[in-house]
Amino acid sequence: MSRSVSKDTRWFLSIYSILLIAYPREFRQEYGSQMVLLLLDCQRDAPTAPARTRIWLRTLIDLVRTAPREHLEKIRKENTFMSNLRNDLLAIGGCVLIILAALLLLNYGRSHQVSSILFFGYVLDAIAFTGILGNLIVFLLIKLTRFRPLRIAFWTFLIVTLVPALAITLFAGRDPHFNAPNVLIGYVVSFFFWYGLHWLWSNKLRPSETV
Amino acid sequence: MKVPTRRPEEFLPLTPAMFHILLALADKERHGYHIMREVDERTEGNVKLGPGTLYGSIKRMMADGLIEELDERPDPELDDERRRYYRLTDFGFRVATAEAQRLEQMVRSARAKKLLPRTKSG
Repeated sequence: MSRSVSKDTRWFLSIYSILLIAYPREFRQEYGSQMVLLLLDCQRDAPTAPARTRIWLRTLIDLVRTAPREHLEKIRKENTFMSNLRNDLLAIGGCVLIILAALLLLNYGRSHQVSSILFFGYVLDAIAFTGILGNLIVFLLIKLTRFRPLRIAFWTFLIVTLVPALAITLFAGRDPHFNAPNVLIGYVVSFFFWYGLHWLWSNKLRPSETV
Repeated sequence: MKVPTRRPEEFLPLTPAMFHILLALADKERHGYHIMREVDERTEGNVKLGPGTLYGSIKRMMADGLIEELDERPDPELDDERRRYYRLTDFGFRVATAEAQRLEQMVRSARAKKLLPRTKSG
């Protein structure tokens, strides 16, 4: 690889190195030096001056064709990221709002002894508890694993609903003021509420499905 | 290396450049210029990959897990140390095979429609 290169070739390689600015920065940093090296090899192996000129012309046409494609791909990738981020923030914000609303309503109902709110007290309690725990687990599992989001939501909410409902029923059941059927109903409603919301989000509500 | 979770058929049809690069890497690992030369020779000069096409395709194929970069150069003493060598992954091999089968099916259809002469064997 010690064959010398002509002055023209060196000049052209310098120009090509500058023209590489047409590609996105990440692409240039990753492959720019390889592309210059490739061109140097082509030039070394070209037997005649017209053959070298043809290589240059072909390379320039290739640059004009491929640089916009790399930029388009980069823009598409960034859009996907932004779109996913927007969807995630929207979903998390929605869950936080629902949980806050349930807690505030419950707090208001208890402090003012509003019977119509307290009638749903068990449901609101369960929605707030399973909402915080379940959504946190669902979000982490969706981001960290490749399982289907709806399947994750189903099993997560089933577990975070069943386990505390059964535990409370078993351990607090001896308390005469404890209302086991209402607690169970609250958790069942909470399961359908949260899983239904995830189902709706996956199938209907999601603003921009990414490809 | 990225572990592909998709089926080979999901990548079809491949772009001509991608298929030529996979073919060039099917028998041995090669660096960029070597791939370019192999394609040029195999197609008798009909396909000439420019640097942008070659490395753009390499970038996408690496991201999809079809090819991978070698950690060591096969012949470090004889070679330019700046060169990067690539090889086909198992998944890349399966994708190349699926594409070859797809093309074979198309050629068979073209033969059935008498767009191509029939071979002696078939």
